[in-house]
Amino acid sequence: MKFNEEQLTEFKRLVARYPEGKQKSALLPVLHLAQESFGNWLSEETLDYVAELLQLKPIEVYEVATFYSMYNLKPVGRYLFEVCQTGPCMLRGSEDIIKYIGDTLGIKPGETSADGLFTLKTTECLGACGYAPMMQMGKHYREHLTKEKVDTIINECRKNAAVNN
Amino acid sequence: MGVKLLLEKAHVEGIRSYEVYRREGGYRSVEKALKTMSTDAIVDEVKKSGLRGRGGAGFPAGMKWSFIAKPEGVPRHLVCNADESEPGTFKDRYLMEFIPHLLIEGLIVSSYALGSHDTYIYIRGEYAWIVDILENAINEAKANGWLGKNILGTGFDCEIHVQRGAGAYICGEETALIESLEGKRGNPRLKPPFPAIKGLWERPTVVNNVETLASVVPIINLGGEEYAKIGVGKSTGTKLISACGNINKPGVYEIDMTISVEEFIYSDEYCGGIANGKRLKACIPGGSSVPILPANLLLKTAKGETRYMNYESLSDGGFATGSMMGSGGFIVLDEDQCVVKNTYTLARFYRHESCGQCSPCREGTGWMEKLLLRLENGQGKISDIDLLWDIQRKIEGNTICPLGDAAAWPVAAAIRHFRDEFEWHVTHAEEAQKRNYGLAHYAEPIHVPVTV
Repeated sequence: MKFNEEQLTEFKRLVARYPEGKQKSALLPVLHLAQESFGNWLSEETLDYVAELLQLKPIEVYEVATFYSMYNLKPVGRYLFEVCQTGPCMLRGSEDIIKYIGDTLGIKPGETSADGLFTLKTTECLGACGYAPMMQMGKHYREHLTKEKVDTIINECRKNAAVNN
Repeated sequence: MGVKLLLEKAHVEGIRSYEVYRREGGYRSVEKALKTMSTDAIVDEVKKSGLRGRGGAGFPAGMKWSFIAKPEGVPRHLVCNADESEPGTFKDRYLMEFIPHLLIEGLIVSSYALGSHDTYIYIRGEYAWIVDILENAINEAKANGWLGKNILGTGFDCEIHVQRGAGAYICGEETALIESLEGKRGNPRLKPPFPAIKGLWERPTVVNNVETLASVVPIINLGGEEYAKIGVGKSTGTKLISACGNINKPGVYEIDMTISVEEFIYSDEYCGGIANGKRLKACIPGGSSVPILPANLLLKTAKGETRYMNYESLSDGGFATGSMMGSGGFIVLDEDQCVVKNTYTLARFYRHESCGQCSPCREGTGWMEKLLLRLENGQGKISDIDLLWDIQRKIEGNTICPLGDAAAWPVAAAIRHFRDEFEWHVTHAEEAQKRNYGLAHYAEPIHVPVTV
């Protein structure tokens, strides 16, 4: 496992933002890059590779990777639904949405569907309280969720997966 | 219509692009500051403006700037806190998403004032698409000579870098943010030393919220004294409020701080009243950590005076009968909502986000969450309510950073004002599973909405 040319260029751009000798500062962004590059999760092998690239001890990378909630330390489905469940979203019905997604996909929060396509997670506040209920899907938010909207999103994902397989 | 200083142009078509932003008068403050003002004069204007930190603590921004140490030969840094994570708060996101150049402009002037040649925006990792918007704005600013070497021929060099977090509320605390920016776990540091003396890489550092730094633009354009004339008392200028919960028009509103809470909730210019024709039960006016208030205490102070949307009025009565302006995350609960359940979700949030350094917070937040879940599920005892009260008291003030307080306050306020609702969950356990407590006497006096 290694970054390709393009990923290495991005790696260098990230490290160049910090003063000499402070390359550890690039750790969070480099972990994001590694996660995007290697299947949307961080294996031990990936973490060791990041440590080597940044000239850090592996433990320095492990302790960071386990602290922040956006790093997936287990494989996840191709589409990761992270639904907010904190107060403001709860007030606007996030529980029903979480249950509906779970029932539709036949999984509980934290699980991945048998076909490997979907993982459902609950998250805490994502800063979209005024557009609740909502979830994060990859780089973007899906807001003002309704059951109909959830159906549309799931169908979109299925279609997309069928085309790109 | 109140005065708008930040979002006035946010809906001009194409304002996200440099050309439109500049055509609408953007970057004037950089010209004025860099060409005609000394760095001390800029700090003075910010002091005169009375601007208070918009992240939640409300500390005077100019004073914070004046604390920065200037040891010979040591670089200084400005860090913009865009780690907006307090439940109910989504105002910085709005500003960065719709009018990114305003933040960049504020950052250039502030970097100049503080002598920061490498300025960092630390943005919460989930706002991934906004990173692209900001980097695009930075590149445009640079291409037009507002960033880089020798800006406007003044000899001032400045670069702005955007750093993504990775999902940790605690990184909104400034020393945790600095740790995170150094590539570590977000564990807050013991203070002193304060960041102004030893911050990022042990260098003097100022950390300010997005809205605070954007507000520097109108302060420089208008002058500190003119800016201070907007608002009332120590609540100067305008404030972004992100309104959410059970209202007709959730969203981000810029207010001048002279309007009443009642007008803010019921006027069509702002929240547009309570959704689905229901009545107001309670509100958390400044982000999830500030005390929740029942309707009667929200609209009027304990003395029976009108409560206004500003720092002083929202905190009138202290924690006994008042709340706080906080981050401006305005969360409204209608008559059907359950205070116990809402408090439970907040307790769960703080347990999830506790960094685990201090035992009162690490253990206490989990304990409160379990007790609240038990009460919510109708399995609680009356003594659990007293136990909750006891735990929150032992967290508050006993932790390195304010996350402990932030976790304790919502629980304390919920019990203080809604104790009967907690008790009802114990005494009417079965009924509590079927329906919510609903309205209580404290929400009764609400009358016809004001017309504006």
